[in-house]
Amino acid sequence: MKKAALLLLCGALAFCACQKDPVPSKDATLDGTAVDVSSLSTSAQKLFVLNEGGMGSNNATLDFLRFKDGQYVTGAFKKMNPSVGAGLGDVGNDIAIHGKEAWIVVNNSGIVEVISADDETEIAAIQVPTPRNIAFDEKYAYVTSWAGAFVTYGADYSVSDSKNPKGQVYRINLGTKKVEGTVEVGYQPEGIAVYNGKLYVANSGGISSQLAPNYSYDNTVSIIDAATFKVEKTVEVQVNLKNVYADGKGTIYVTTLGNYYDVHSGLYAIQASDPTQAVLVSGSGVKEEFSHVTASCQVGDAVYCVGTEAEFDWSAAHQYYAWSVKGDRVTHYPIMLDGTPYGICVLEDASDLHYIIVGDAGDYFNPGTLSCYRLDHNQNEKLWSVTAGVCPGHFALY
Amino acid sequence: MHPRGLILALILLFASRAVLAQEADTLVAAKVYSVQVYPVSRAAEEVSLPGLVSAPAQVADVLRRFTGVQVKDYGGAGGLKTVNIRSLGSEHVGIFLDGIQVDNAQNMQVDLGRFSVDGLETVSLYNGQKSLRLQSAKEYAAGAAVYLRTAEPQGNALRLRLRAGSFGTVNPSVRWDKRLGRVFLRASAEFTASNGRYKYPCFDTTLVRENGDIRSLRLETQLFGHTPGGHWDVHLYSYGSERGFPGPVIRRAQGFPFSAERQADQDLFLQGSWNQDWGVRYATAVRFKYANNYTHYNTHPEKNPMALPYDLHYRQQSAYLSLAQSYVLSDPWSVDVSADFQHNALDSDVGQFVRPRRNTLTAVMATRLVWPSVRMAAHLVYQGSWDHFDAQQAGGWTRENAYRDAWMPSFSVFYIPFRWLEADAFVKRSYRLPSFNDLYYSLMGNSRLEPESALQAGVNLRFKGASGPWSGSLHLSPYYNRVSNKIVAIPTSSQFRWTMLNLGLVDITGLDVKGEAGFRQGDWHLALVLRYTFQRALDHSAPDSGTWGNQIPYIPLHSGNVDFRLDWKQWSLAWNSSFCGERWSRSANTADYYLAPWSLSDVSVSWRWKGLRAGVHVKNLFNRAYQIVQGYPMPGINGLLSLEYNW
Repeated sequence: MKKAALLLLCGALAFCACQKDPVPSKDATLDGTAVDVSSLSTSAQKLFVLNEGGMGSNNATLDFLRFKDGQYVTGAFKKMNPSVGAGLGDVGNDIAIHGKEAWIVVNNSGIVEVISADDETEIAAIQVPTPRNIAFDEKYAYVTSWAGAFVTYGADYSVSDSKNPKGQVYRINLGTKKVEGTVEVGYQPEGIAVYNGKLYVANSGGISSQLAPNYSYDNTVSIIDAATFKVEKTVEVQVNLKNVYADGKGTIYVTTLGNYYDVHSGLYAIQASDPTQAVLVSGSGVKEEFSHVTASCQVGDAVYCVGTEAEFDWSAAHQYYAWSVKGDRVTHYPIMLDGTPYGICVLEDASDLHYIIVGDAGDYFNPGTLSCYRLDHNQNEKLWSVTAGVCPGHFALY
Repeated sequence: MHPRGLILALILLFASRAVLAQEADTLVAAKVYSVQVYPVSRAAEEVSLPGLVSAPAQVADVLRRFTGVQVKDYGGAGGLKTVNIRSLGSEHVGIFLDGIQVDNAQNMQVDLGRFSVDGLETVSLYNGQKSLRLQSAKEYAAGAAVYLRTAEPQGNALRLRLRAGSFGTVNPSVRWDKRLGRVFLRASAEFTASNGRYKYPCFDTTLVRENGDIRSLRLETQLFGHTPGGHWDVHLYSYGSERGFPGPVIRRAQGFPFSAERQADQDLFLQGSWNQDWGVRYATAVRFKYANNYTHYNTHPEKNPMALPYDLHYRQQSAYLSLAQSYVLSDPWSVDVSADFQHNALDSDVGQFVRPRRNTLTAVMATRLVWPSVRMAAHLVYQGSWDHFDAQQAGGWTRENAYRDAWMPSFSVFYIPFRWLEADAFVKRSYRLPSFNDLYYSLMGNSRLEPESALQAGVNLRFKGASGPWSGSLHLSPYYNRVSNKIVAIPTSSQFRWTMLNLGLVDITGLDVKGEAGFRQGDWHLALVLRYTFQRALDHSAPDSGTWGNQIPYIPLHSGNVDFRLDWKQWSLAWNSSFCGERWSRSANTADYYLAPWSLSDVSVSWRWKGLRAGVHVKNLFNRAYQIVQGYPMPGINGLLSLEYNW
């Protein structure tokens, strides 16, 4: 009996070993452009790059950089899902990893696409109207949506307030991939983050600012209790909010785009323990004013930003500086970027070397480029550069 | 035999006939100077609409066959149709109705889908510099021009026409001509309704286009009169429509519609002109116009949860006054001076809208030396515009920078070396002002935005010949265009906030070829027209970009068509096959943006008996699936029946 049990255990171990053995993923045969990743030391398998595409052009694409062999593969979703004739869809607005799944928010298709992070094959396509950004807790995916509360009757839809509806957060069951309820937040919600049983939602008012009679941006973060799925508190920050990051240590960071006229972009911090006010994060001394945010990303408990001083002068050729915040420490880096950084991703390795991967949108109409730099290097030394899709703006490490 | 070889053979065979006879006939009295008679430029294409076998539904249907012309068509009766000539961009194309520009200060694009051919006599195309006496200054300023001309009534008449066909299309119209002493009156009305539903391939399935329906009503009144040595006309026009926009074909979650967008328009204008000779040397032309265009656009989010909640109203008004003068200094030398003044205003309830107003002065000095076989002209246009706006909320705009001006010189020569050959050449610089949308609409202002500039040079060679019942011609028109400071839209950090920059540079080399052959004997009349357009339009905007040197979006390298027509007694048959080569929807000429070549065939048959005329017109006879604009499928085979009676 003991022997049998041992055998069984051995068998189980062997089975597990088999499972863990690197079975070549189905996407291993996809080839792309080779880039030199030898200097990047990361434990991740690949970096997903979501290219937004142009609205109405149905050209959102999913690329990935495979760290093992340095292959940069474009259009992976279409290649791995030939049966989805329409491809990924129209305007890829966010991507996030949950377990072995990648969840992709396809804004103007009204779809949250769930794929296998291993081989990009489709697992589910979930219907959510005008979805924007996504975050997870243990049970649910939470997706912000610009659509007003709508009710269905038969094949028809009706929106409760069609003139200037407030947005929603959709709650999707991670197991069943079914929508299980919505909650109303502010105008045109964008970023969302989960911390300690609470959801933090950044409301932009991007459309509201163009609508009569108020023409005003939203300036609030909605705090939702995950258990009751109800808005608990609303915190005023600054006009036109964009991304939300929870550093896991009690600080919630919110980026703002400003009003493109006299209110600049910036990064604000809210304390989860006392979420009554938001404080502008900036450096000290000469670097004090260098706290603009054109693009941002989170790595662990740090938030990285690139920004430019003359951000409302659209006809100027801009130089973008990079900075980060981690706890109380604000760091400015020597690198200066030109072009049009649309999304960024920072890789930290064990020896504390920092690499920044910049998605450059170029003319926003034709395929952009992805370039990798040493963040702490004095010279703007480009390690590599590769052609991505249209508006490479969103990243996820797997 | 190769078609081009056939045309050349025809020309060699019949190149013996006089080609100037037609013009010389108009030289009746010695008091008319040659400079008043011989043109320094000719239309590249001219079509007489009543002469067509079956009246086309829209002006766009006529224009799309012309050499050098690309019609951008979003499909369906209500879909936007704009014209691009020799890759200059549709903003450089002036559309003139009876010599007065149909303009749109908001986006500088004129929707040709709205022009009925019902009241029109001719549609002609000038792809270089038009140079005739008594032109308005704006006629000189347009980079390329389409002329729509209504015909003057000849007596009392009444025409009833009913057309009906695919997509639930119904199109009744009535036209009434009345002589009132020395003045002619023409009144017409036309109604159009279409459900716009047609099948199209949607990725791996077949769907029916939804929300593409349209209803429109057009009412027009015109008065025509003559003075000793002159003539005048007044035109009152109103057009109302309500339509849906079906939207681009994209991946959409099941159950969500592509679009529920609707737009209602009310267009009204009053225009008129008076041409008068004062003695034998001096003549004037006065033109005026008032236009009022109202648009209501609604995305209907209550019907489409994917829609952004826009419910917007626009009113655009313009007032225009023009004086053209021509004076014969001494035959064959003449001078023309013309000046136009225009006021444009745009009101809207778009957020933070600055209600722009624009005053534009366009003035031209033109001089011509004209002998019967050698003719030359030089023109210098000055255009200045002053913008005003409610500036309290405008970021980035300055009043000091709201003035823009440009000088546009051009030269034309025209030479007839042989009886069978006409040659002309032109070189021209033209500008187009930034539109109100470029500058002020829901985007970040860029006060440094400069006018977009086009440099054009072209040569036209026209070989002609006729013998017995046969006639033939061959037109060869090579050209070079450079569009610089091209206004390009760039999104800011939010996809709903765009700004405009003078970023683009495009070099265009092209060749238009048109061969015609005709045969006429007894009851038989045959005509064959072959057209071919070569356009290499290269993006030279940014030398370090990946798209440098690529073909610009939507311009095929090769395109063309064949027109065949046969008339016999009361019967007429017309066949048209057109071809459009491969294109890309982006200057990234990659597989993702590749648009496959397509070819289409249309056929029309008509029959007439006394005042009765009946016709059938079948479009896309072989039911080809194609797209002119990526994401906007065009209809398959469709037909239109037409019945009209003339009293």
